[in-house]
Amino acid sequence: MKTRKLLRIGAIALGLALATTMASAQAINSGAQTIALNATLAESLTLSLSANSVNFTLAAGSAANAGSTNITATTAWVLKPGRTAVGVYAYFANAASALTDGAGDNIPSSAFFIADNAGPSTALTSTVAFGAANGGMQLANVAITGANKNSSRTDVMAFNINLTGGTLPQLPAATYTGTLNIQAQATP
Amino acid sequence: MAGAGRGAELPPLRCFQGMDLDHHVGMTLQTKFVRIALLLALSLIVLGRDAEAQVLNSGAKTITLQAVLTDSISVSLSSSAVNFNLTAGSASNPGSTGVTATTSWLLKPSAGTVTLYAFFSSSAAALTDGAGNNIPSADFQISDNAGPFTALTTTVPFGGASAGLTLSSTRILGNNRSSSHTDVLNFNINLSTLPNMPAGTFTGTLTLQAQAI
Repeated sequence: MKTRKLLRIGAIALGLALATTMASAQAINSGAQTIALNATLAESLTLSLSANSVNFTLAAGSAANAGSTNITATTAWVLKPGRTAVGVYAYFANAASALTDGAGDNIPSSAFFIADNAGPSTALTSTVAFGAANGGMQLANVAITGANKNSSRTDVMAFNINLTGGTLPQLPAATYTGTLNIQAQATP
Repeated sequence: MAGAGRGAELPPLRCFQGMDLDHHVGMTLQTKFVRIALLLALSLIVLGRDAEAQVLNSGAKTITLQAVLTDSISVSLSSSAVNFNLTAGSASNPGSTGVTATTSWLLKPSAGTVTLYAFFSSSAAALTDGAGNNIPSADFQISDNAGPFTALTTTVPFGGASAGLTLSSTRILGNNRSSSHTDVLNFNINLSTLPNMPAGTFTGTLTLQAQAI
């Protein structure tokens, strides 16, 4: 009888202990408070040059009048989804007078050549997105995929003036100056 | 009979004038007796009234009182929006503002700890441009009370797996069952691990929630 009583009391005590433990283990949660996050990664397309002047020592009638230095154009972009291409262009404002002595004697863009990344030397005779008609060339065309929406490329440009074409062999001695533009475009 | 008794006493009073001395003495005793009787009667009346003035109590009725102080825990924020101007590939893109989270609680004696958590519902897409480009919670960092920036990569009681961070944990003792805690949060997005992140506007919801256990 005594043992039974003790067992009963023990069972009740165990039950109470379990109930207390369960009650104390109950978690109480606060309401959830939210913070709205808005992060903007602006679209950008930039182009930088390693130098911004090139000199030529011309030899009359010569096809090879190399520039004093190569210039590296670095094009960097962060693009929105939907852009499919980045083009890099070199161009003059006027195809007939890429360089001029200011006295009516000109070197046309067709006599100005660029070799991009050690590729073939090409005259600026195309109509591109910028500049004059027939006064430019496309240096690069980069297809944009999911893997390069945020990327960059470099174009190492070597320059040459070819004085063999047309009336250029008769080009008078003078200082000829001009401005070559390098510009990139992301499309569409 | 009483009336007859009173009538037998009255004639000596009415015949006061011209009566003899013995008769006068008898009259005086009679008057005294009347006076004493009157006094006794008056006393009895007064005493009777006193008996009537004793307090009278009703039976006691009880009202059961129950006062419940409910346990509670709440989180309030100083601001509910943070903006980021991202720089592609940069590890440092701080939020436009810090947010102070104040956790207040009133707990039962059984509560042992109050913990504040920050979390996203998805670790893969904490912020998204809605076009499949996401900033994962691993690149979202919080500095709590000027501590180190820590990414939300832990699984906490709320939110997505590996998408949370324990901001603070306060042990509940006898003297802080009703108390509060302040967490000043600063935010950063690390894009150094997301080299191909396209330009866009990325939105997301960071949730803060506290738990007492």
